[in-house]
Amino acid sequence: MGEFKVHRVRFFNYVPPGIRCVAYNNQSNRLAVSRTDGTVEIYNLSANYFQEKFFPGHESRATEALCWAEGQRLFSAGLNGEILEYDLQALNVKYALDAFGGPIWSMTASPSGSQLLVGCEDGSVKLFQITPDNIQFERNFDRQKSSAVRKMIVDRQYMGVSKRKCIVWGVAFLSDGTVISVDSAGKVQFWDSATGTLVKSHLISNADVQSIAVADQEDSFVVGTAEGTIFHFQLVSVTSNSSEKQWVRTKPFQHHTHDVRAVAHSPTALISGGTDTHLVIRPLMEKVEVKNYDAALRKITFPHRCLISCSKKKQLLLFQFAHHLELWRLGSTAATGKNGDTLPLSKNADHLLHLKTKGPENIICSCISPCGSWIAYSTVSRVFLYRLNYEHDNINLKRVSKMPAFLRSALQIMFSEDSKKLFVASNQGSLHIFQLLEGSFKHLHTFQPQSGTVEAMCLLAVSPDGNWLAASGTSAGVHVYNVKHLKLHCTVPAYNFPVTALAIAPITNNLVIAHSDQQVFEYSIPEKQYTEWSRNIQKQGFHHLWLQRDTPITHISFHPKRPMHILLHDAYMFCIIDKSLPLPNDKTLLYNPLPPTNESDVFRRRTAHAFKISKIYKPLLFMDLLDERTLVAVERPLDDIIAQLPPPIKKKKFGT
Amino acid sequence: MVQLRPRASRTPASAEAMVDEGQPASEEAEHGLLLGQPSSGAAAEPLEDEDGEDELDDEAPEELTFASAQAEAREEERRVRETVRRDKTLLKEKRKRREELFIEQKKRKLLPDFLLEQLTAAPHTDIKKSPGKLKEVNLQKKNEECEKGSDSKKVKVQKVQSASQKSYLALRLKDQDLRDSRQQAAKAFIHNSLYGPGTNRTTVNKFLSLDNKRLPVKKAAAQFLNHAWGIQKKQNAKRFKRRWMFRKMKTNKSK
Repeated sequence: MGEFKVHRVRFFNYVPPGIRCVAYNNQSNRLAVSRTDGTVEIYNLSANYFQEKFFPGHESRATEALCWAEGQRLFSAGLNGEILEYDLQALNVKYALDAFGGPIWSMTASPSGSQLLVGCEDGSVKLFQITPDNIQFERNFDRQKSSAVRKMIVDRQYMGVSKRKCIVWGVAFLSDGTVISVDSAGKVQFWDSATGTLVKSHLISNADVQSIAVADQEDSFVVGTAEGTIFHFQLVSVTSNSSEKQWVRTKPFQHHTHDVRAVAHSPTALISGGTDTHLVIRPLMEKVEVKNYDAALRKITFPHRCLISCSKKKQLLLFQFAHHLELWRLGSTAATGKNGDTLPLSKNADHLLHLKTKGPENIICSCISPCGSWIAYSTVSRVFLYRLNYEHDNINLKRVSKMPAFLRSALQIMFSEDSKKLFVASNQGSLHIFQLLEGSFKHLHTFQPQSGTVEAMCLLAVSPDGNWLAASGTSAGVHVYNVKHLKLHCTVPAYNFPVTALAIAPITNNLVIAHSDQQVFEYSIPEKQYTEWSRNIQKQGFHHLWLQRDTPITHISFHPKRPMHILLHDAYMFCIIDKSLPLPNDKTLLYNPLPPTNESDVFRRRTAHAFKISKIYKPLLFMDLLDERTLVAVERPLDDIIAQLPPPIKKKKFGT
Repeated sequence: MVQLRPRASRTPASAEAMVDEGQPASEEAEHGLLLGQPSSGAAAEPLEDEDGEDELDDEAPEELTFASAQAEAREEERRVRETVRRDKTLLKEKRKRREELFIEQKKRKLLPDFLLEQLTAAPHTDIKKSPGKLKEVNLQKKNEECEKGSDSKKVKVQKVQSASQKSYLALRLKDQDLRDSRQQAAKAFIHNSLYGPGTNRTTVNKFLSLDNKRLPVKKAAAQFLNHAWGIQKKQNAKRFKRRWMFRKMKTNKSK
């Protein structure tokens, strides 16, 4: 493999926003998660819990409710009084409709999915009819007409109930007339809606109980508390063969450290998310048929896309935050050492630039050119391009104004290796190519999407010689375009799991694709077919431990002089695949910690296989090869994220 | 309008007055002489008459000819008309001055024409994203149109929005403030109920250090060092060190 000096970077101050609402869609097995900064992410739970789509946030949006309606339509409502519908094909907000009732506190869809109910601050509940293109206001219910409210509504309202000003955080209405309410006193209360009386009260926590979600069959529900615990309630029969049933608190789960503000109940799993930014999916053992690795707990903490780009020549890193970009130059060292040493820095890392966006929108994507003199980023409405000049130790930034009008929002931006071309994937499905000149740019060509489909292109990859461009969308295969001749070259056949990372190798022009089920394919672009190595590994299958990894591969890179090596990483490991070595089968040890030390180490040499995995640096956000002897690893320890979260509930422990 | 003062026994006298017009002057003169007050014309007469009535109840009320009353009424009317005309002209002048002021202000505040054209040509964005300036421009345009409507013809119906303003919407700024304040209030409510007084919250440092305190060998707190202390002092010290070293190297070189 060789020896590398590794730049361990820990100054990327990435703090994900907390989770505010969670909505589960049973038909497509997808989860919509809305965060406190207005970002909405869609996770495909059947594709190994991969985040396949996301809608960037907005400062004015304070989402309070998220729900799915019929036909896979997603609606959200927030404190700014607007109902937004999200377009899942084009990945943008379709429209925003003001409900004219003040801040909206809750929203739900009717069981048939054709109507939308919204609870507003002024006390009214408004009914909207969902039409194919739009939603229309239908009726307005006053506070008294609660009998017209539909069944199975999960409604959140605030009212000063008892003397201690208890806030009801969640209400669920079951079809047999029971109303379940969770409040800030830590109680779960069952009410009878016919008589209006309290049937049962469970005190489950000292802190607030903040969220509730009922399963479709109405035989179990889950509540989340402010201490981070979620409780599972089930309807069980009183004795083993009696027909009388009652609600019993069955299981507590402690997977969070902070408030659990949103829970959802899918047929087989409990889903929770809260202020500590983790999304936890806990499959219920009694509901899971096959007890394999699928039934394990999944905790999604780190982003499933790459937020860092690197300029190899100038050793610069560009960090993408929600509202600003940071440019850092890596430090340098003159010392040498042996394997495992920590070398002292002779020059510290330098924070060169802090670039803030104008306006309330979040940044979708950003990129720095390999030569380090161009920075481009995009929000929902505009694309920004900047030119950098370096003089001695100073940096000079100049914005390129006059962006073309057709370039509204880009899902992915990439520069070519020679920094002369800019590739922009817009959310309408088209790919634009611009040529970069000294202070401006020129539009070269646009690849329109295939007929009829409006498919957002999420990932781009450019070959180092500048001839090929690969783009992957959300459903179809990976398209490969010839940049010199400006036409579509070929399409890699579609695979049923989404693509998580794409890269083109330097000399052989092999396209390496990583999917969310941890499969890695290698496709030769000049020959328009899968490579021999790829066929071998598909025939043999990956090692079972490789397939059981939780986090997707987010970045792939190559060694410029060694075409047989592929470097890829996910959040908890990085791996160099050596295609010249034999492939491991299920019986061999996947994680070989040390290389063979001397000639007589025959056993280790015999069991050496192609996957060289290292778990030294974790959790990894980004890993790349800077030059032949240097690697850069950007880590983000979980404690550093927790240190910047809002205050948790006080827990009194004996002895402290 | 001229208000005729009510007199009880006026009617027969007025009838007489209407019939013969030649007599009144002499009667007036007599009357005026009787009371020793100068006859200052029609307006002065009624007052004297009343005094006269008080003193001499038996005497018949004097006659007031129709002509004099008519003259009096006409005078009053003329005076009122004069005042109204004066008021109108004053108001018109005021309005003209205000309009000129507005035009001047608008010339100062309004975006240059070509920018406005660009704005109208630009694609329609979300309501929330329309900039504040656009709203101001809209309101001023509306104001101007309202003024023009009221000044020229009062009967004409005012046009509120012209057809050319299709690409952006006019929003009342009052509504926007209200909506923002309600959103802020809602957010403040949630924040107070979760993190406000009465909730049992602790700092992240204490939370992470709970485990450290319970270990058999007690460790320090998770965030023991306060890196935010004295940032300015440290920066100053760094700058001073760099300058000192530079100076030192210069003096060494010169030696």
